[in-house]
Amino acid sequence: MTTPVTLCGLTKQFGAVAALADVSVDFAPGEVTGFLGPNGAGKTTAMRLILGLARPSAGSALIGGRRYAELDRPRRIVGAVIETAGFHPGRTGRAHLAILALGAGVGAARVEEVLDVVELAGAADRRIGTYSLGMRQRLALAGALLGDPAVLLLDEPANGLDPEGIAWLRRTLRGLAGEGRTVVVSSHVLSEVGQIADATVILAGGRLRFAGPTTELTASGESLESAFLRLTATATATATDAVPIAPAAPAAPLASKGERS
Amino acid sequence: MTTSIRTELRKLRSTRLAWLVFAAAQLIVVAGVSGLVLSGGHLRDTDTVNKAVAHVGLVSLCTLLLGIYAVAGEYRHHTISDTYLSTPRRERVLAAKLVTYLAAGLIIGVAAAGTALITTKVWWSAKGVPLTLSDAGVWRTVAGGVAWNAAFAVVGVGLGAVIRNLAAAIAAALAWIALVEGIAGQLVGSELRRWLPFAAGQALGRATLGGSDHLPQWGAGGVLAGYAVIASAVAASITLRRDVT
Repeated sequence: MTTPVTLCGLTKQFGAVAALADVSVDFAPGEVTGFLGPNGAGKTTAMRLILGLARPSAGSALIGGRRYAELDRPRRIVGAVIETAGFHPGRTGRAHLAILALGAGVGAARVEEVLDVVELAGAADRRIGTYSLGMRQRLALAGALLGDPAVLLLDEPANGLDPEGIAWLRRTLRGLAGEGRTVVVSSHVLSEVGQIADATVILAGGRLRFAGPTTELTASGESLESAFLRLTATATATATDAVPIAPAAPAAPLASKGERS
Repeated sequence: MTTSIRTELRKLRSTRLAWLVFAAAQLIVVAGVSGLVLSGGHLRDTDTVNKAVAHVGLVSLCTLLLGIYAVAGEYRHHTISDTYLSTPRRERVLAAKLVTYLAAGLIIGVAAAGTALITTKVWWSAKGVPLTLSDAGVWRTVAGGVAWNAAFAVVGVGLGAVIRNLAAAIAAALAWIALVEGIAGQLVGSELRRWLPFAAGQALGRATLGGSDHLPQWGAGGVLAGYAVIASAVAASITLRRDVT
């Protein structure tokens, strides 16, 4: 069940712009990892590269040692909520999940299960075009959970959720990590993730700014927010002179955790 | 591969579009045959029966749009990400779409053929003219029309994969038929024009209006199959390479 996600020198160039520059980090099983950074930091790009939706310019992103495209029945191994994904507005929620279920190789009963988990069963036969933002987000989460995957990659999953929904999401993610899954949650809102993240990875300007236990960020008595701002403020400078904490091998703190679990 | 095809069929059934296209196809045929009769066609003429059932081929405009929507529609609604997350081997997704929409084109074509034959029968009866369907030419028209529907569905999938913006892809398809083949076709002359996709489709479905120079039916079928293969190949090379945004 334990499947780490390993980025190694991951780089993505869009023309002359590096959306992601030489990022090496491990996301460990059994933990919730907060994947943080300001807008445009490269979080979504990194997720798209991990999921094989875009090709890296250099480096690799491996899931349990394999590229996403090499996974057999990938939805059974990785569940993802990505910001750029959408729904056909004319389809019902249930039909949407039924289509994903075919791809995941799971039955109709599992569709009903995840509909219950995200508390969307009552609206499952409505067209998605009538859903609120929060309901769409729940449907996206249902799709990610469908294959009962060992890895969850969630890009801004709290978007559109009400406070109750966010609390539910936190409980759910904690529970999933507790089962030994690798849970990666990206956010540009620090408070959403800070409370539940065992580990934190911070990107800014496409570069890795920090990777380590969340407690390490606040060890010196600094607040999480001020640590985050300090680490991301110098996003335009080069990595070497901007990162007081970032070690030479940034993957180290998380990698060691990965080996332990 | 069968999973991908089943997924595509499920997608097709889960929205109203396919049913709307199906209904529109039947309406086009009914309206076309009725128009032919009401505009004073000579019903005893075998050629008029031919013209009536040739409306089957014109339905290919519908299957072309349906094919375009199969791919460009996924980009329009951003469902393509989920499609590739289920099946990261993109060539499988494309192949499944080609097979599914080839079949959908055939089904819509066959249904349109049935509607055309029934509508023709009803009108001929209403006018008290005996309808003879023993003429081989009529059945060649029907078969050609069905094949045209299938070919254009495949071309549509290819076009949608190349021009992933739905509105642009549909505009390009319609502009091609109306402007490029219609106007530029006259400039380049019938010798060249008859090799173009819509002209080849017309020859295949024996829906040639007037006596302009067209390819023979079998030749047109081959040319159109060629276009379908080229469209698929270009779609494949682009689909495998491009990032999904």
